[in-house]
Amino acid sequence: MYGFEALTFNIHGGYLEAIVRGHRSGLLTASDYNNLCQCETLEDIKMHLSATEYGPYLQNEPSPLHTTTIVEKCTLKLVDEYKHMLTQATEPLSTFLEYITYGHMIDNVVLIVTGTLHERDVQELLEKCHPLGMFDSIATLAVAQNMRELYRLVLVDTPLAPYFSECITSEDLDDMNIEIMRNTLYKAYLEDFYRFCQKIGGATAEIMCDILAFEADRRAVNITINSIGTELTRDERRKLYSNFGLLYPYGHEELAVCEDIDQVRSAMEKYPPYQSIFSKLSYGESQMLDKAFYEEEVKRLCLAFEQQFHYGVFFAYMRLKEQEIRNLMWVSECVAQNQKSRVHDSVVFIF
Amino acid sequence: MESSKNGRESNEEISEKDENILSFLDSMDTYLTLMDSLSSTLRQGWLELASARHSMGASRINSTLLDLKFHRASTTLQVNEQSAGPDRELPHFTLRKWASSNNPEKNFEEAKFGEDELLKIKSNSLRRRDTSQSSEIQARSPESVGTPVSVDDLAQRERSKSLSMFGTLVSPKLRASQVSFETGTVATLFI
Repeated sequence: MYGFEALTFNIHGGYLEAIVRGHRSGLLTASDYNNLCQCETLEDIKMHLSATEYGPYLQNEPSPLHTTTIVEKCTLKLVDEYKHMLTQATEPLSTFLEYITYGHMIDNVVLIVTGTLHERDVQELLEKCHPLGMFDSIATLAVAQNMRELYRLVLVDTPLAPYFSECITSEDLDDMNIEIMRNTLYKAYLEDFYRFCQKIGGATAEIMCDILAFEADRRAVNITINSIGTELTRDERRKLYSNFGLLYPYGHEELAVCEDIDQVRSAMEKYPPYQSIFSKLSYGESQMLDKAFYEEEVKRLCLAFEQQFHYGVFFAYMRLKEQEIRNLMWVSECVAQNQKSRVHDSVVFIF
Repeated sequence: MESSKNGRESNEEISEKDENILSFLDSMDTYLTLMDSLSSTLRQGWLELASARHSMGASRINSTLLDLKFHRASTTLQVNEQSAGPDRELPHFTLRKWASSNNPEKNFEEAKFGEDELLKIKSNSLRRRDTSQSSEIQARSPESVGTPVSVDDLAQRERSKSLSMFGTLVSPKLRASQVSFETGTVATLFI
């Protein structure tokens, strides 16, 4: 019952909540980012990061450094932290933590299938997969010719199996089918995660359902903008939107018929939380929309730490860490390309 | 008499040499401006690509997704020698952009440039010190197939097809990056 978590949460979740709050205090601050933004080379970035918790992961990397190396090593730190928490967790927290990785699993499946379609080597593709989304039979994905085989040969024994019921066909895999498969799987995953959090109840349900609803709405906007000018029909677009969130169902009806960014803006400005996001953009512009959404997401994720005795802190930490890695990637790219004036275009400060 | 004749000839030679030097300096200036414009366009393209990678994620934009299957180049450049008078041949450039993958002989943006035309375009734009060099290049009307509206639509379709290796629903930043590199390709031709 909501309100009584304080009595029992710490029995099974107290240690891990303390661990994740400790990890949170290790996130980079605005002054760290200011130092990083003044670096002239990637070696300087490595030197600054050596004074942070990323130090042990980067110290043995040889020169010359590459931006992908920095991102890989920072991601390894996140993976190590996650694995420690997962091994220490009991139910239902362990299932909750596993849910966090299903998005990466979907990305990895699509990467392998797309790469195979383009006649790439499987080993090469496996090296590019996100470590949080790996599973045992992932390499076998390369033999599937259509979604039915994909499901039957590989995915039936993975956590993604329940999400395939809506997209199993015998059509051969091509770029459009793969894209629809990606978005359909992600939609099913988000809805399942949402139901799971509601079932847990209490503060977890309250906090997670708000965060997941925002995620669903953001995905709907991105799908709409990315599909403008493509062959995706309005019905196909509507089917990719999740069946929950602030925009469901009337906002989705309006987004499904949008043909340009200004129509998207008109549809979104009817919802007060998104009015503030779109007010930061000028008309016809969508370049800064990603940053505006990330800023809103970070605000909501930070609020999750204001309450105790719920699982939302684990999800919030993982997402904040991924945002931090995205920030480091962007700063590294700007430094490597000698475009430091553009570094604040996409860096989202967490604290 | 003979000395004045020699004097006129030497004045003519000097005048001709002066013209050659001016022409050379003009070409050098053209070259440097075009290089600067190309560098700026490519920098913009690379940053937009990084921005698309930041937005869509590293798993959606990386080198392992590039298609290794055989396919025809969507943009080709043909250089022919054309006679421009007795004992003189000039190179003639034909740039074909966005050749249809279904019908390779049909391309939707084709521009033919003789060397003289290229020099005229460059010198006109440089006289104005126009900073929008890339827009000048882009605005050069190609000999197009079909009506202008349908050519744009079909070229846009071919652009989307070439980006489909990264997925069908890609960020506008990736499309912007593609346009930047396309502009850079045309700028390279002018160089």
